[in-house]
Amino acid sequence: MTGTAGVLDLSLWQVGLAVLLVGLVVAVSVRQHLGLERDLVVATGRAIVQLYLVGLVLTAVFRAAHWYWVLLVVLVMLAVATREAVGRLPRPLPHRYPIAAAALTGSTALVLAYAIAVVVPVRPWYEPQYVIPFAGMILGNAMNAAALAGDRLQADLRTRAGEIEARLALGFTGADALQPMVRAAIRAALIPTVNGMLTVGLVQLPGTMTGQILAGSPPLVAIEYQLVVVCFLGAATALASAAFVRLAARRYLTRAHQFRRYLLLD
Amino acid sequence: MVVLRDVSVTVPRGGALTVVGPSGSGKSSFLRCLNRLEEPSTGSVRFHGRDIQSLDPLTLRRRMALVAQTPVLFEGSVRGNLWTHPPGTGIDLSEGRLHAGLGEVGLAPDLLDRDGATLSGGEKQRVTLARALLADPEVLLLDEPASALDPPNAARLAETISSLRRARSLTVVVVTHQPELVRRLGGRLLYLVGGAVAAEAAIDGAEGEVGDRRLRAFLAGLADQPDEATGR
Repeated sequence: MTGTAGVLDLSLWQVGLAVLLVGLVVAVSVRQHLGLERDLVVATGRAIVQLYLVGLVLTAVFRAAHWYWVLLVVLVMLAVATREAVGRLPRPLPHRYPIAAAALTGSTALVLAYAIAVVVPVRPWYEPQYVIPFAGMILGNAMNAAALAGDRLQADLRTRAGEIEARLALGFTGADALQPMVRAAIRAALIPTVNGMLTVGLVQLPGTMTGQILAGSPPLVAIEYQLVVVCFLGAATALASAAFVRLAARRYLTRAHQFRRYLLLD
Repeated sequence: MVVLRDVSVTVPRGGALTVVGPSGSGKSSFLRCLNRLEEPSTGSVRFHGRDIQSLDPLTLRRRMALVAQTPVLFEGSVRGNLWTHPPGTGIDLSEGRLHAGLGEVGLAPDLLDRDGATLSGGEKQRVTLARALLADPEVLLLDEPASALDPPNAARLAETISSLRRARSLTVVVVTHQPELVRRLGGRLLYLVGGAVAAEAAIDGAEGEVGDRRLRAFLAGLADQPDEATGR
């Protein structure tokens, strides 16, 4: 165990000791007949492999310090986030992947650009130590926001179809007829972020702050970074959910302001 | 799947058309094609001689008001519901107009401040009718307006609809199971089975003049459906 820049290096056997805790979870699963043993073993194996691979890739990217490698890493993260955001939508959404990609790319690009150009101006602009973690956090939140918003939008369009058609029959445009459901979906996506902001530091010490404190930063520096990150994430959540829901809602309407409710039937 | 085929009918201005038939015979789809909530894959619908494809669907729907089978009231008061119309349409939504609108469908003005969720099925149906009529439509499309009502309320609603039609010179197209409503409205009766016209009749004269015996039995109140009269 050696200390580097205020961090205690962990050896492989120490990591192994932590992984042993998963054995405890497996034991609980066996005893309670949860049937999760196989999943737990696979998940632990995947976590180890994925994290070591990411560690190796990031080490190489940090060493190379070329803008195109940083961009490639961000694009890969974007592709995975796009797939995850809409991959499990319960009902059909025509063009789901382009819609999710547009919403996630737009929201992440805007927030990330503001982050590295205005709030934390890094030199060079693609400094991987900042850009990759910021992009990862922003994208992760944008992805969750789009997934939550999409799920809520589909549920509401399905259960409130009568309300939508009543508005259309009164002569409202399709966009106006769907507006209450669009608003509810964006709101549902924002609630976890708003709750998180209300309880930040009180219920749990969030990731950025925890990481920095573990890395030896003074707590006041750590909370400043956390505050900055919380604001980035709030903006990304709002932008991603609003863009995604607006683009998605259009897919359920025709040019003649008809509601394509058949897309949401069983 | 074909929902409607070879259905051809003309309703004169101020006239009435009633559509009857078993569940799944395409009655509601027929109504929804008229105001373009649905698009037929072939054929055309003409309004004042013009193909509705060439008309703005939003204007068309304001001129041809549809009241759905299940009355939909939006969250909030009856007043809020009556106010729910697209912006910029110039509809008079003054207090006096709302009172008159409720009176027209047989409701008292003190209902205005009631929460829509607390109304009975019959009251909800009447509020949706009043809301549609505030836009001064030329045509009223009604999908089973009395399906959720008990017989006395259904009879009262039939009376309201036929007096509204006379007072406003409305063209009315109604999907119904109520022989009484068909008799009161007169005009043409269309009997749809499996998306096609199985029989049709003019209802302006006496029941005895209706040629098709299934429709005659239905109109005499002997069967809820024309097909039940023949045991089909």
